[in-house]
Amino acid sequence: MATTREGARPGWVRLCRADEIEEGQSRGFDPDDEGQDSLFVVRWQGQLHAWRNACPHIDGAPMAWRRDAYLNAAGTRIVCHAHGAEFMPDSGLCVQGPCRGERLGHIEFVVDADGELFVKS
Amino acid sequence: MKIVGLESLVFAVDDVRSAARFLVDYGLTPVDVSDRGGRFEAMDGTAVVIARQDDPALPPGPTPGCRLRKTVMGVADEATLGAIAAELRRDREVRRLPDGSIESIDDCGFVIGFQVTARRPFVLPSEISNAPGGVVFRPVNSLGVPPPGSVIRPRSLSHVVYFVPDVMKAEAFYVNRLGFRCTDRFTGTGPFLQPAGSLDHHTHFLIGAPPHMHGVEHFTFHFGGPSEMITNGYRFVEKGYQAFWGPGRHILGSNWFWYFNSPFGCHIEMDADMDQHDASWQPREATASADNSQTFLLKMRRKWYPGPGIPENGDYA
Repeated sequence: MATTREGARPGWVRLCRADEIEEGQSRGFDPDDEGQDSLFVVRWQGQLHAWRNACPHIDGAPMAWRRDAYLNAAGTRIVCHAHGAEFMPDSGLCVQGPCRGERLGHIEFVVDADGELFVKS
Repeated sequence: MKIVGLESLVFAVDDVRSAARFLVDYGLTPVDVSDRGGRFEAMDGTAVVIARQDDPALPPGPTPGCRLRKTVMGVADEATLGAIAAELRRDREVRRLPDGSIESIDDCGFVIGFQVTARRPFVLPSEISNAPGGVVFRPVNSLGVPPPGSVIRPRSLSHVVYFVPDVMKAEAFYVNRLGFRCTDRFTGTGPFLQPAGSLDHHTHFLIGAPPHMHGVEHFTFHFGGPSEMITNGYRFVEKGYQAFWGPGRHILGSNWFWYFNSPFGCHIEMDADMDQHDASWQPREATASADNSQTFLLKMRRKWYPGPGIPENGDYA
């Protein structure tokens, strides 16, 4: 996880406070106001990871089954709730399902010195 | 063989409480639900049944990732049940369960059950369109749009769609062993199948897919009409559920559709107004593109006239 004091610079969009996303939790965001969450952030084994909300097996398929619900019940896998593909939260690698071996699209983010989470707009 | 349609679908879930809330929000009625699972019924008693994924009573799925563990079909009478048991016992095990149903496995690895149907007949008007020159009209002063707060419930379990690694083998099982007929077909994809005791365009649709996709694409319940179904879908979206495709109307089958993600490792659909066919129907064949699947797709516009919250230059730029 990158840490910077320049998170508020132009070209970056604030999502939330980093500590609002707890261990084993996920949250979706719509920073470009598309009307649907375009990315989501998970915290797994202490670390935050941000991924495009788009299953690699169908171009652009949204993955949650309910707002912010991207993980299995144990919080150990990201699940695409279209056809059940499972991904590792840290690498985005699909380990089970229709796109096994493919990866989620990585989203670059920073957490600034105040603990605020930003992504590139 | 008079199979009348789907009776219930049994799913293994990793979070009973969340899955139960999802099904109730979809419109189903919980029956005998506990922290171990339960039954969620449409108006005629057809149902989704969920159980914890570690429940030893669950049959195995076709693949480890498939949460559908059993597809139960309803049949007209005991004679049909006996005929199915005799047919399947020719080459596979058929178990008689304590509830009187029978259980076996199809040729693509899905556990199947059959029971004398327990569907509860009911009479409730379906959606009627008023049109100049029409023959059937809604009663005068009755409303076409479901009023806010009206209760909308799924009427009956409609169909299930399987991904199968050998679609010809799977089709042959349902047609030759269980008496289904193909109503329409997507070339190179698979058939829409109708059992002998139903006029619905399909209760099963088979999609040929690589072995690692073996499982379920979606399942769905019939609603009372497109207005009711789409109203229910919008309510579902407002509760935070994730739409995938729709609302729109299919070409083959003519059913209105709206697909959503689900906690069952597959999509769930809401559908309405599916075509009915009898044995005189000649199957059509089409390529399985999106253009051949949707006759139209609807999009909601929240603001459509100038007013508060609308930019000076309008909302159309």
